[in-house]
Amino acid sequence: MTKRLMSDRLTARLGSGLRYGLLSLAAFLSVFPFFWMLIGATNITADINTGKVTPGAALLDNIRSFVAQVDVPVVLWNSAKIAILGTAVTIIVSSIAGYGFEMFRSRLRDRIYSVILLTLMVPFASIMIPLFMMMASAGLIDTHIAIVLPTLASVFIIFYFRQASKAFPAELRDAAKIDGLKEWQIFLFIYVPVMRSTYAAAFVIVFMTSWNNYLWPLIVLQSNETKTITLVVSSLASAYYPDYGAVMVGTILATLPTLFVFFAMQRQFVQGMLGSVK
Amino acid sequence: MDRLPLKTWTLRAAWVGASLMAAAPAFAGEITIWCWDPNFNVAIMREAGERYTKAHPGTTFNIVDFAKADVEQKLQTGLASGTGNALPDIVLIEDYGAQKYLQSFPGAFAPMTKKIDYSGFAPYKVQLMTLEGETYGVPFDSGVTGLFYRRDYLEQAGFKPADLENITWDRYIEIGKAVEAKTGKKMTTEDLNDGGMTRIIMQSGGKWYFNDDGELDVTGNAALKGALDTQAKMVKAGIVKPATGWNDFVKGFTSGDVASVVTGVWITGTIKAQAAQAGKWGVAPTPRLDMAGATNASNLGGSSWYVLAKSKEKDEAINFLGAIYGKDIDFYQKILADRGAVGSLTAARSGAVYQQSDAFFGGEQVWQRFADWLAKVPPVNYGIFTNELDNAVTANLQALIAGKPVDAVLKDIEEQAKTQIQ
Repeated sequence: MTKRLMSDRLTARLGSGLRYGLLSLAAFLSVFPFFWMLIGATNITADINTGKVTPGAALLDNIRSFVAQVDVPVVLWNSAKIAILGTAVTIIVSSIAGYGFEMFRSRLRDRIYSVILLTLMVPFASIMIPLFMMMASAGLIDTHIAIVLPTLASVFIIFYFRQASKAFPAELRDAAKIDGLKEWQIFLFIYVPVMRSTYAAAFVIVFMTSWNNYLWPLIVLQSNETKTITLVVSSLASAYYPDYGAVMVGTILATLPTLFVFFAMQRQFVQGMLGSVK
Repeated sequence: MDRLPLKTWTLRAAWVGASLMAAAPAFAGEITIWCWDPNFNVAIMREAGERYTKAHPGTTFNIVDFAKADVEQKLQTGLASGTGNALPDIVLIEDYGAQKYLQSFPGAFAPMTKKIDYSGFAPYKVQLMTLEGETYGVPFDSGVTGLFYRRDYLEQAGFKPADLENITWDRYIEIGKAVEAKTGKKMTTEDLNDGGMTRIIMQSGGKWYFNDDGELDVTGNAALKGALDTQAKMVKAGIVKPATGWNDFVKGFTSGDVASVVTGVWITGTIKAQAAQAGKWGVAPTPRLDMAGATNASNLGGSSWYVLAKSKEKDEAINFLGAIYGKDIDFYQKILADRGAVGSLTAARSGAVYQQSDAFFGGEQVWQRFADWLAKVPPVNYGIFTNELDNAVTANLQALIAGKPVDAVLKDIEEQAKTQIQ
């Protein structure tokens, strides 16, 4: 009996050791690129190339070089405008859709929903050229509207809101109806406040996707004045002799807003992902 | 979100007005250009634009920089969608990829055979942008190759600069063995996972992966066979310091670990950045294969400017490229001095910067030498699948080094390439 207990304890200890080992490895793998980026921003390009992992003294030079090559306020403003406006409208449109799919019953509801879900399986690359032609014929090439428009009805976010809405108590809606609230009032004054952690989580997801979006803005944007920060960093990095110090500064600048949004909304994000309704 | 600055609209209006009146042939408008590398292509194009604007005050330039892969992606999307208004007026295309675009999108690029005097450019640069007798594009930077060597190491091993002039690869290997015996340094460095060396040696032999008709030319290709054999011989002779990746390759010769490197002229700036090695370097012609038709000149990389056929400013764009890239000798001096760019206009060699001798290279007239070799690079057909063939070659090179007969390796390369391109 004691023997068995001991071996159980040993297995448990071994198990947790293994767990910690694997988790430490995963933590290292995910944190190292950040560490490398921060260190890289302080080193000269030659040192970055040789893989130096200690801080250097070139941070100011790198910032100066980056600022000299990039119109920082303009590209940050472009990225922010697209990300914030796009995220706000996407969440409004997609949460209304998710709400509608869950609340209103009809014979066709689930068929339509499946068809919409199926579009998740179509890779973006395959619709890129037709989409580009649509935008070109609408005269929207090189505008930020063209970037935001195709993302407004986000299938994933509709799905996410519908799933979360399943936890929304039907009694609340019924009670509101009895009190004489119209559907839009129920949505705005009851659903939205109750689901705020879902909204927060959706905001983090959409904002990050939008801020980091690369391929579509690349295709649509045609001039230096409309470019986003991700495009600018990519352009710097592809020089014949890249100034990696400046690239690292640019990468930090491109990462900070998503980090900020994530940490600011971390608690709500976790709650939202767990699908809690208070 | 305004799509075009007001200035553009005014200029467009001015252009329309001017063409309505048809009073003067003067152009006015904005030329949009896509290219990569802010410190090289973009800066050079800006210089070209400024020069042109002096004589044509109505013309403005909108130079947009993207990463190289991104320029290709955007060009591909724009061409595939068939919408002309979403493309620039001028685009930079890498030479190895030129035929792919010309053949995949017939009519997309403006033919310039009658508008540009191509006789002034290095023939191989003109060949790569010619399709069915029609020439598209204006040649830009060249990757003409040379043998960069350490004078000090070679001297220690008992070789004079003259001993490196117009040698064969076999002689290069002999010298390499002597250098290692006397100095302990390897003769050269190579990343065997990069197809660059194969391309250099093959083009110096006047061949490519494809024949003039664009058909695969592998098993019967003496220059390719020579290129593979040469690399295997070099490795077996122990004169190569293996490199992993580009940075390691560059470190090999900039750190003094190896005695020489054969690569494109664009490496000159990187070599000269090692100020402590001033006076210790020299340049010699690219070694040649020991076969008929082989030359001591080759090329690695390079790109050229193309005008889109649907461009509204097409005539002006062509006029601009012809006026600056086609004949402005002084422009070529400026971009060589400021950016280390070697153009493809052979007449540029008569300018002051091209004639300077360089103390870093022991007082040699380095640029005159490269200009000589530039005119001798054999024209070949880069075809449309250079990347695929490169991959097939690097995948099979190790087997050759391990002792597999070269003809069998060529056969493997051909098989592998066929599965990828058909």
